[in-house]
This record gives sequence, C-alpha cells and structure tokens, in this order.
Amino acid sequence: MQAKEIKHLRKPLMVGKLSDESFITLFMLGILAIVFAIASAIVPNFYTVQNMLNLVTNNWFVIILGIGVTFVLITGNYDMSVGGNIALTGVLSVYFCQGANVSQNTLANGLGLPYLVAVGLALLCAMGVGAVNAFFIAKLKVPSIIVTLGTMMLARGAAQVITQGAQRNTSLPDAFGVLGSLGIPDTSIRISVLVMITLIIVAYIFEKKTVFARRIYLIGANREAARLSGINVGKYLTALYILSGLLAGITGILLASEFKAGVSSRAMGYEFDALVIALLGGVSITGGFGSVLGMFVGAIILSVVTSAATGMLLSPDWQFTLKASVTFIAILAQRFALDKRKA
Amino acid sequence: MKPTENVLEIRDLVKDFPGVRAVNNVSFDIKRNTIHCLVGENGAGKSTLIKILTGAYARTSGQILLNGEEYNSHSTRDAKQKGISTLFQELNVVDQLTVEENLTLGMEDTTLGFLRHTDKINRMVSVMNDIESSIKPKQLVSSLSVAKKQIVEIAKAVAAESNIIIMDEPTAAISESEIARLFTIIKSLRDNNVTVIYISHRLDEIFELGDYVTVMRDGKHIETKPVSEIKDRSELIKMMIGKTVFEQYTPREEECLDTILQVKQLSNHRLSNISFDIHAGEIAGFYGLVGAGKTELARAIYGVDDYEGEIIFKGEKLKPSPDKAIAAGIALVPEERRSQGLFTILTIRGNVPVMNMRKISRNGFINDARERNVTLEYVEKLKIATSSIEKEAGKLSGGNQQKVVLSKCLFADADLLMLDEPTRGIDVGAKSEIYSLIRKLSREGKTIIIFSSELPEVMNICDSIYLLYDGSLRATLRNDCDCDSEKILHIVTGGE
Repeated sequence: MQAKEIKHLRKPLMVGKLSDESFITLFMLGILAIVFAIASAIVPNFYTVQNMLNLVTNNWFVIILGIGVTFVLITGNYDMSVGGNIALTGVLSVYFCQGANVSQNTLANGLGLPYLVAVGLALLCAMGVGAVNAFFIAKLKVPSIIVTLGTMMLARGAAQVITQGAQRNTSLPDAFGVLGSLGIPDTSIRISVLVMITLIIVAYIFEKKTVFARRIYLIGANREAARLSGINVGKYLTALYILSGLLAGITGILLASEFKAGVSSRAMGYEFDALVIALLGGVSITGGFGSVLGMFVGAIILSVVTSAATGMLLSPDWQFTLKASVTFIAILAQRFALDKRKA
Repeated sequence: MKPTENVLEIRDLVKDFPGVRAVNNVSFDIKRNTIHCLVGENGAGKSTLIKILTGAYARTSGQILLNGEEYNSHSTRDAKQKGISTLFQELNVVDQLTVEENLTLGMEDTTLGFLRHTDKINRMVSVMNDIESSIKPKQLVSSLSVAKKQIVEIAKAVAAESNIIIMDEPTAAISESEIARLFTIIKSLRDNNVTVIYISHRLDEIFELGDYVTVMRDGKHIETKPVSEIKDRSELIKMMIGKTVFEQYTPREEECLDTILQVKQLSNHRLSNISFDIHAGEIAGFYGLVGAGKTELARAIYGVDDYEGEIIFKGEKLKPSPDKAIAAGIALVPEERRSQGLFTILTIRGNVPVMNMRKISRNGFINDARERNVTLEYVEKLKIATSSIEKEAGKLSGGNQQKVVLSKCLFADADLLMLDEPTRGIDVGAKSEIYSLIRKLSREGKTIIIFSSELPEVMNICDSIYLLYDGSLRATLRNDCDCDSEKILHIVTGGE
C-alpha cells in the first residue's frame, strides 16, 4: 500500500513533458511541411516521388558534415574547417593512388599506393586536421572560430599546392570510382547516401543514449561547472574535432570517387551550409542545446528551398537571396517559439 | 506638495505564474525615510515582489502607490527614473570595463553620442570612495574581488540619488568589516531622506539595521511591524516558517583519529605555507573573511588551481585535477552556484547524476530508468521543491538550486565532501535542512570540510575550526566551550 502511495506521489514529478529539443525538431518539421506545401503548389513537377527522394539524397554531404558540426556546436564551439578538409582529403586520396612516375605531367604522377591504403592515409590526414584544431582549441584555449577559420584555409591551401591550384584526375586505378558510383539500381540512392543514413542513425543513438554525448551537452551548458564536475573537457573536445575531421574526410573520399577527381576548389562554403542547417535544426549557437535529428530536418528545409528556387527558374542571385530569407525567417521563428515555450 | 507619510503603499498585489501564485494578495505600507526589512524563506515571494517594483515583472492585479500616486514601471531604467534603484543579488557589473565606466554605465553624459568627461564621474567616484577608498576609478572591474564589485554597485545606486533603494542581500558576499561600513552608509542614507528596502537572510542584520520588518511566507503577507516590537530572532523565525528552529553544536562523542587528508606546506598565488590534517569522519570548518583564501584553498585541494606543496589523501599523493580528485573520492560544492556548480539550462535530471555517470550507465550507455530513479531519489531526499524533474535547473529558487548542486556532489559518492559557502543566499529553512544533512553525512562516516564566511555556521556544525587570514592558517580550534566568537573574530581580522 505504502509503496503504491509513493509511486503515486512520484508520478507528477515524472510527467514526461516533451523536451525542448524534441519540441524544436517538431516545430521545424512543421515549418518543413509549410515550405514543402508552398513549393509543391507553385513549382511544377515538385510534388513527385523522384523529387522528394532527391531532396534527401542530393544533400548527403552537408548532412554528414552537419553531424560533426552539430556536436562541436553543442559544446559551444565551431568547426569551420570541414569544407577545406573535404578538398584536402579528396585531393590526397587521388594523389596517393595516382600511378608513380607515369607521365611528364606532374599532376598525373602520384604515389602509386593501393586504393584502400590511399583512403586510409587520407582519412588519417583528415583526422590530423581535426587534431590540429583540437590542439589549439583544447590545449592552448584559442577561440575555435579563429582556429578553424585558419585550418579551413590551410587545408584548402595545401589542396591547392598539391593540385597546382586546379585538380588531379588522371592515371587513377579503376577501384577509385567504385565507391562514388555504386548504389541501388534505378534510384538516386548511392553508397554515399547509405553512409549518410547509417551515420544519422548511429549519431542519433549516440546522442540520446551515451554518457559521452551527455558530457558534450554538459560542456556546452557550463564549461566551468563541467570541469569542476570531473569532466576532462580537453579530452572531449579533442575527440569531437577528430570525429568532425573524420566525417569531413569520409565526405571528401566519397566526393572524389564520385567525380573521379581531386579538385582543390571542392566543397567551397560547405562549412557554412553545415552551420546553417544545424542552426535551422535548432542547435544553439552558444552551446548546450540541439539535436542531430533537428539538424537533419534543417538540411531538408534548406534542400526544399534550394530545389524550389531552381525549379522556379530563378537566377542564381535570386536563388541565393530566397535561401537566405527563408533561412533567416525560419531561425527567427524557431527562437521565438522556444522563448514563448520557456516563458 | 507635502510628502505623504508612506513612500510606498502596496494594495492587494497579486502575481501569477503558470501553476503558482507567487505573490498572493499582499498589502502593506513602507514609511518614508525608514529602513524597511523584507524577510521570508526562499520562494516566499520577496524576489517576485521586488521584481514587480523594479518593473522586471508585470503584476497580475493590485495597486502600488508611490508618493501617493499610482506607480507602474516597465523596466529597471524606468523605475530608476521614478526614483527606485535596486541592487540585485546577482552582480550587475561589467567585468571588462573600468570602475568609473561601470559607475556611469547607462547614465553617461554624451554629446552626439560621444562620451563627455564631466564632473558626474568625479562625483560618483567620490561617493564610491566614501564607501571603499582602495578602489581606483581606472581599475578594471574584473580585477576586483566579489566584495569590491558589490561595493561598486552599491556606490552606483547611492550616486543615482534615488529616494528608494532596494537591496537584495547586499551583504551575502562581503566581509564583516565591510558590512559594518555598509550599515553606517545605509543609516546615513536614511538620515538623508532615502528609504531603504532591505532583504537579507541574516536575521541579526534586521535587528541591527531595520526600523520596520515585513515577513512574507508562501507568497502571502504575514506581518509588518516595527523591529523594536519584535522580541528576538526566534520570534522572527517563527513568523517566517511557522515553526521554531533551534540549532546548537553538540560535541562529538567519539574522537576521529584516522587522518584522511594531509596538506603539507601548500602555497600558491593566494596561499602561503598552509599545513593541516583532517581526520576521517569529522566536520572541519575553515573560517575567514572574504579574501582570506578559503575558496583558493578549496580549489587547490580539488586540483583546480596550481600549487606548490603536497596534498595526501588516503595515503596517496593527489594529482592536481578535478577528475582525479573525484576519482580519489573528493567532491566540491563550489562557491558560485550558478557559474560553477549548476548547469542552468539543463533539467534537474540532467544535473543530478553528472558526477557519477558510471552508476547510471553500462558500457557507456545510459540507463534511462536508473537515471530517473536516482534523480527522484535525491529530489525526495533533499526535498527539492519542483513540479517535475524535467524542470530547467536555472528556474528553481536559490535554495533549491543549491540542493541540486548538493545532490550532484552527494551522488559522486565521495568520502570527503568540501562545501564552499554552502548556504550563501539561501533561506533559514533550507539552511537548517542543509545543516542536518551535513550532520547526517558525518554520522554515516563521510568527512566534511566547510569553507564559510559565516561564523554561526561554522560554530554550529563544525568539530574543528581553522582560521584563515590573508592566505595563511592562523589558528586551529576544537569546537568546545572555550571557543568564543570574540577571540575568533580577533584572529581572522589579523589580530595575534
């Protein structure tokens, strides 16, 4: 009887009010539905299965980047180096497996390593960029925006040196193009999309269930309190920057394979797209709040707007303006809704 | 116009929040040029009432008359212009600016938006220097101690020439000698036609300072009467909580003999050559004025700040890092609750288990049910007043926030619990709950070290008392009959 009473007393304390993160994700889903409805109404051929599928599959690269960027953002830090890192990793993966001494043209000569070794080394370099970020941010306490803007340019600069400011695309083994071209026949679903979906699922479970992820939120919510609660903040930041570097590396490898080329100007501005979709998805720019699922919804919103703008045959300048306006309004609406809910 | 007898008349004031009536039909008058104290436990509605007066909250219903006229304020700035200044509990100074820039912040004299150096600054600086002469106007506020930052704020309100100044716990973080100085100033304010509304949990201050006192409880007005008509502390406490609380130190029956913590020749930028032993199971108290080095000592032991010397815990040398300290069995309840202890934007559930995640997880994966149960257990054990464990921790009252921080440290399952100012800014009821919790932990075999600038606190619960002055350990006392407060105050103010 008594146990029953306690249970009864406990109940009101446990009423599972929707968490703020879930609320924002649902709110942004609502916005997505509205944007999608408008686009379907005014853009011809928008409301088709193929197009809806494309909305997801055409954006696999920003979504993969968005995972790392989201977690880094939740700690209250930025990672602006991911775009440059993609270019560098892509170029390196090409350089490593181009045949050695096969041509007069320096851009056709590489190291001649087997493809898998080349990929492994390129990924190590991508994580190396993350480790450099981590060293300056976690160890030397330099603000992350400064560090990662620096490594963004350094990584792209290195890619430009290796490609002499252009690209490398000759004397590649056949294996090089496989990853980027295989997929489910007759659909736009390629390996890269499957990788994205897998990563999203893993990231979701990681975020909701693991101690590691919980500590990421603690660091973002109050770094000093996290440290005094025994969390080795530097260790966690280091791991996350290396993870974000690895995700950029995977993206770089897949993109290079898809185009069978290592292009030094690849992924220009992707770091901003990844940041924007995270913010659209409700991740707080000051840290401690946000979710991978929200980021995913944010990516689809951006994708709908981009695709609609293209479908409306707007000029690229107006496409850009439309994207900017919708993004801005959506983020404002979301912050407003969250404030209302908290008040 | 002849000034009204009452500077402020509050009539049937009500403020509703979703689910709670924070201020419930409150009516009372505040007489002109008096020091009017406002007391009540946390959550009694004092802060809400003050926020309505300053314009931070809109009232739900009721009326406020200022100088006999309807008063309505939309912002603290608006209130200030109407003559009501407030010193909030949370410091309101800008660290990156100099003292004089802080003093004139929001009231700068300008021409076309450019700052003009007028004698307003000099006037304010002289007001400030009347209170504390050691603060330099060109000094950065970030270089000041908490106590001095507060003095800058007090000076700012004094200089604004308000006819009502509200002070929310102004003495919570300043030292005894500075308190005495402040009281002199508050009294001279009253003699110079200023009404002071004074909020404090330190009841002795009410008797020392107050002309009138208003007691609130659960959002309701209980009583307003001249302080001279109140017999003693316990009468006041009875009105505040409806029951009598009386606590006194009872000497421990058995001696604690095993040394658990040895500090040898500890020195750093703020501490000089401190050595002592703490025995397992005892409650030790470090007492000293603000700036004596209490917090610095706690932080050094916990491994937050660098030091020279040796700290030996359970026979092993401690490595200087909080995660190592926690692993060894030490937990710290830090001085600054909101900036160092609490994750304000996370829920109670997000706060309680963070220092011992291993206990609620397996292989790095969190067990949700265990996490909820642990949180519920502490909410019940420490009587944290909340509607849900999913409530944002930052939205709780001060006392309940402190209980969340305490839960966090208790869940760490440490053998040595260090508490830095464990009851700062929390009400009498929560205070005595925390004291009995500390005693209970001690009976269970935990070792407790309290760092406090409140002597009654140290004398109430500690078995041994360590006196700090200017970064060095001046005396160690057993808490028994020959331990008198005059002698202690003599030592901690620098006497031999």
